[in-house]
Amino acid sequence: MEVSAVQEKPRASPMFAGMAIFLASEAFLFGSLFFTYYYLRINNPVWPPAGVHLDIGLAVLSTFILLSSSGAIWLATRLIRRGSITGLAATLLATTLLGSSFLGITIWEWTHETFSPWASAYGSIFYTMTGFHALHVLGGVLLMMALLIRTRRGRFSPCNYLAVEVGALYWHYVDFIWLLVFTTLFIIK
Amino acid sequence: MRKFVSLGITRGVLGGAAGTGAGVGITMLIRLALGLPAWNSGPVWAAGILAGVVGYLAALGLFNYWICWFFGAAETEEQPPESRSWTRYLNVSTNHKVIGVQYLATALVFLPFAVILQLVARTDMSKLSAAFLSTEAYTSIISDHGIVMLFIVAIPAFAGLMNYFVPLQIGARDMAFPRLNALSFWLVPAAGLLMVSALFAGGFDTGWTIYPPLSTSYQPLGMNLVLIGAYLAGFSSILSAVNILATVLKLRAPGMGLFRMPLFSWTAIATTILSLLFTQFVAMALLFVLLERLTGMGFYNPAAGGQVLLYQYMFWFYSHPATYIFALPGLGIISEVIPVFARKPLFGYKGVAVSSLGIAIGGTLVFGHHMFAAGMPALLRIPFMITTMLVAVPTGVKVFAWLATAWGGKLRLKPPLLFAFSAIILFLIGGLTGVIQAVVPADLYVHDTYWIVAHFHSVLFGGFLFPLMAGIYYWFPKMSGHMLQDKLGKIQWGLMTAGSALLILPMFALGLEGMRRRVADYDPTPGFQSMHLTTAIGGFLIFFGLVILFYNILRSLRRGALAGNDPWEGKTLEWQVSSPPPAENFLRAPLVVGPPYDYGVTGSVHAVFPDKAGQAQGSAEN
Repeated sequence: MEVSAVQEKPRASPMFAGMAIFLASEAFLFGSLFFTYYYLRINNPVWPPAGVHLDIGLAVLSTFILLSSSGAIWLATRLIRRGSITGLAATLLATTLLGSSFLGITIWEWTHETFSPWASAYGSIFYTMTGFHALHVLGGVLLMMALLIRTRRGRFSPCNYLAVEVGALYWHYVDFIWLLVFTTLFIIK
Repeated sequence: MRKFVSLGITRGVLGGAAGTGAGVGITMLIRLALGLPAWNSGPVWAAGILAGVVGYLAALGLFNYWICWFFGAAETEEQPPESRSWTRYLNVSTNHKVIGVQYLATALVFLPFAVILQLVARTDMSKLSAAFLSTEAYTSIISDHGIVMLFIVAIPAFAGLMNYFVPLQIGARDMAFPRLNALSFWLVPAAGLLMVSALFAGGFDTGWTIYPPLSTSYQPLGMNLVLIGAYLAGFSSILSAVNILATVLKLRAPGMGLFRMPLFSWTAIATTILSLLFTQFVAMALLFVLLERLTGMGFYNPAAGGQVLLYQYMFWFYSHPATYIFALPGLGIISEVIPVFARKPLFGYKGVAVSSLGIAIGGTLVFGHHMFAAGMPALLRIPFMITTMLVAVPTGVKVFAWLATAWGGKLRLKPPLLFAFSAIILFLIGGLTGVIQAVVPADLYVHDTYWIVAHFHSVLFGGFLFPLMAGIYYWFPKMSGHMLQDKLGKIQWGLMTAGSALLILPMFALGLEGMRRRVADYDPTPGFQSMHLTTAIGGFLIFFGLVILFYNILRSLRRGALAGNDPWEGKTLEWQVSSPPPAENFLRAPLVVGPPYDYGVTGSVHAVFPDKAGQAQGSAEN
């Protein structure tokens, strides 16, 4: 049985609700990381420890990349509602590429940091927090690739684009989390 | 032989073994390439086990649908047809009823294992012979008892009942995400296996709480196995919470407003909100321990600027609400059973329903009371003391509602009701002692003594074990189509109730006298030995009770009396379908028209089953 072709209100579907519930849980995952960061920060006289120099320019670039990818996926949901399959494919491709370049920057940063995850509690939580976020972006990139393949195979139409809506919800959420990670690690420190 | 190999569980085990081998091999090669010594049991085994878990799940075929979806396959809700043979319980199934039984069976396999562990420890402590357990063995055994009971018995047992009965009670065809449901279940046996094998890999002597610095410095491999196992169990519990919440919120039958929902489903909402959110914290705390052990990261290491107390905050932020994760569904079962067997409407239905949420919300604000003795800021003690005492209020609402329901009812003293009554008494003992130890000075005195052990066990006996037994006797006829024998049930109830009293009450006394928990030896002079012996006897009585339960189940499956649709004359939806229910649950979609517990109220109907022409067919009138 094919899932009913007409999904008039994708946001009322159990799938959308399920993703929203899952993301509530993810809020606590990142909440536990932020709690750890600030708890350690309060209890350490010197924070971050000596020898830690962060490249804020690169982090700002990452932020712009992720914010524009959120714009791209938002456009994707608009375009499919108007019936533009090529527009959907193009915006999904843009989201995938932007997400991948974010991951590329993260890997470059990780290999060029002046501190290791082992030397200090600061290093441990820095790498764990950025690592967990990067894993979520990786999951999002895989999801975007799947949506792209499905677009090419003609699985979406103006009345059947639930997976795009759900994917967009996830993607916006992960971007929002990045803003918190960025603020914590690079602005507040 | 071919049939054996084609069983899901066999393929899973083979896939797990292959994955572990591959993971160990590849990790050793990578280590060689990096110029490290090839063998280091910690990281190599950890990587091997993770690969093994992936291999096990892949061999079971749990990823197939999603991989096909990734490459653009059409979405489908169609599931392969179910075989009716018992082997379907050893295969991957997406039917919520099969998964419910799988969860329950897993829990009932690990339950006697964990009980026997503790019987060994209790026998040792009763000092009838020379001590036969080393200190390490004793602490490993009681630690494993605790963690297996909580993660592999308590959570899965109630996950099983929720899986089976929440969709039935709310009039849904299945869970919202059947494939995710299968994945959540199959993680549990893997987690259980890891926790059991930890005993044979050097054990772990931190207690179930796994506090650093002992857990980060204790060397044996068993500690890693337990950490990975607990992480997997937590992952499973989060996924299953997503599923149950989405089901209850989105798939209720027409007319099933929230305040027409049976109370077991209400407690399912409260429970899953807690496990959905707070499990993330304990998972992260355990992951930090694992990372610190494997890679030398410094979250809890003061020398690197880490904080030991950080673990306790994160651990109890989950583990206090977790007590309600273990107990809330049990309280829901009591609320189901009492009106049915007292033949009266449930007293204060709305209050009982909302009190579940009250307990859930209140329960998240009290975790600090576990750390009164741990050196938390003194400023925080009083607020945590007050919130802890306040949690007793919504719990009291439930207890009074149950008593008011039973009061003046035509009580039918069947095993479910008997177990529910014992559960109320035990839960009351646990709750009242909980209020006592919420007071800071009292807590500082009894902290880490047998008093706490006794309090915790009376809460879990009253909130988990006895309600689980009530639930099994109440719902087994629905699941199997056969009645359990009443007489055996009553003998079991007597043994377990007496056993609980013998087990718990001496421990309160021991704790007040200063007997510390997790200590393998004691000075017999102050009369401690007789109290330890009484506790051990209580434990054996409970174990014999469980043996009777298993005999009763096996007996009933072979030659139990047929149950019929509604052996207890219940009104909720699960009693309006055949026993066992058909694969699609409801042959005609139910339409809910009234409250669920109107026993003895003439003319009150919970649900009707309109046929295609819209003609209402009344449900059984009670």
